[in-house]
Amino acid sequence: MVILDLVGAVGRLAEGAVASVPVTPAERPTVERWCEHTGNTVVGYDKGRVIVRRGRAPDPLAELPADRRPGARLWLYTNFDCNLACDYCCVRSSPRTPRRALGRDTVRRIAGEAVKAGVSELLLTGGEPFLLPDLDELVSTCVAARPTTLLTNGMLFRGRRLAALRRMPRAGLALQISIDSATPERHDAHRGAGSWARAVAGVRTALAEGFRVRLAATLTTTDIAEEAAVRTLFADLGIPPDDQVLRPVAHRGFADDGVTITTDSVVPEITVTADGVYWHPVGADDADQFVRRSPFPLADAIAQVRTTFAAQRSATNAQAQLFPCA
Amino acid sequence: MSEPIVIGAVAYTPNVVPIWEGIREYFADSAAPMDFVLFSNYGRQVDALIAGHVDIAWNTNLAWVRTVLQTEGSCRALAMRDTDTRFSTVLVARAGSGYSGPFALKGRRLALGSRDSAQSAILPVHYLRRAGVPDTEVELIRIDSDLGKHGDTGRSELDAIRCVLDGDADAAAIGVTTWESIGRDELMPGALDAFWRSPTYCHCNFTALDSLPQERSEPWVVKLLAMDWAVPEHRRILELEGLRQWVRPQLSGYAALFDAVKEQGIPARW
Repeated sequence: MVILDLVGAVGRLAEGAVASVPVTPAERPTVERWCEHTGNTVVGYDKGRVIVRRGRAPDPLAELPADRRPGARLWLYTNFDCNLACDYCCVRSSPRTPRRALGRDTVRRIAGEAVKAGVSELLLTGGEPFLLPDLDELVSTCVAARPTTLLTNGMLFRGRRLAALRRMPRAGLALQISIDSATPERHDAHRGAGSWARAVAGVRTALAEGFRVRLAATLTTTDIAEEAAVRTLFADLGIPPDDQVLRPVAHRGFADDGVTITTDSVVPEITVTADGVYWHPVGADDADQFVRRSPFPLADAIAQVRTTFAAQRSATNAQAQLFPCA
Repeated sequence: MSEPIVIGAVAYTPNVVPIWEGIREYFADSAAPMDFVLFSNYGRQVDALIAGHVDIAWNTNLAWVRTVLQTEGSCRALAMRDTDTRFSTVLVARAGSGYSGPFALKGRRLALGSRDSAQSAILPVHYLRRAGVPDTEVELIRIDSDLGKHGDTGRSELDAIRCVLDGDADAAAIGVTTWESIGRDELMPGALDAFWRSPTYCHCNFTALDSLPQERSEPWVVKLLAMDWAVPEHRRILELEGLRQWVRPQLSGYAALFDAVKEQGIPARW
């Protein structure tokens, strides 16, 4: 009799702890009614057993700061083609990569739904966004809705692209430019000859044009001295510490090694591409991080990721508690 | 700040720890701060109360009766849960048995919980005798699976129910909280029916010896009674401990148990 097993097993638990008891498929509705009746929570079913938590389930989303909850930061891959072919690119961008642009209409609709959907910040990335002829329009649309960050390699600020840059709003927009090392050698080895000098020149141009600039280094080393040298360079370029981003390479896309990022191991940062909605920007070219085809309604897409994440986190927490008892 | 009042409680489940940590936190900034000590059984807790190692004990009804008997009445109950004032025992049998009251148990087998459980052993026998069903006319099956904890774990009551479902007993005597926790007859339709419910009686209370000055105990009781279901931080504690409101004790609710302990020759100390 599953209820007697539940009363016995759950009654011995502290609040928040979990127990499992044998259950048949036919008994599952009874288990769920008992949990509702007693204020306990079904965590899940596994190999003929039900896992029950004593008390109500904590909300995994509430454990995260508001600005890190899924959907608070919404990433948009404006395109996948790039003037560079970085050897660690997580989404396999290069000059030979098809464009796969998100498109003006989609960006406009996302911006229109962002506020209602609870998005607090939009981040545009690629590929290299400055390859798009209408980028300044896309950026203006996004900035009008939410504070926006535009990721770029900073190498294309010339001619019509410089003109596009100049047409972008200053308020509510930050440019995030990639510089991976304090001196050209390491940066150029990963991103192409001469790219470091052009990126540094791009930083100076953006600053001179009155933009807020963030600098991001994707580090292929855990060398602390290298990190310190990068920060010194960033500071010398006039970038305050809060606008300096140092992060490791993710083992995704072209990267041969790096940090493993899976949907189980990373808090989602919802990402929209021309191909659909993805769990995180580093997996936006990988099937395992695909969530759904349509980003609309945007609130539904965000809710889907939040629900999946909450269920996954609850199950992980429950498993973590079960292991010591095994 | 005055010396904290030390409360004794029995750790019948790990959940007792967060409950008492929550209660201690509630009292932390009050005029009557408290700490707590956990015991493995009510026998040692009552010993500690009488020895002065704790100021107040969170006692079951049997622990209260035994404290009164051991101190010859030199103790007082301070407060209890609202749910403690309306405790009862339920007799259950397989659905469709057709039993309609204690008299139906004549010549049948009744599964009882631990012999130190007031709700599932001592009082059922008492009420059966009162109803004209002496022990000699019913086969009592005693399941002493959680001795020392006065039935708090509910384990012996679950075992008694299993006895019925397995056909090893015709009926079981369980506390109303166990009956509620298995969902009465709603979650196991066709499995069990409740065929008799005892008069209500009192269950737990906070017990102090008379040697604890009133001016020490009363501010603590006043603060306890101020715990408010409408306040979320208070409500969490109240839910964990199974009540909506702390109330002043109702001592008349222990009369049946005093009588039962005397009639059944249950020792004052063990």
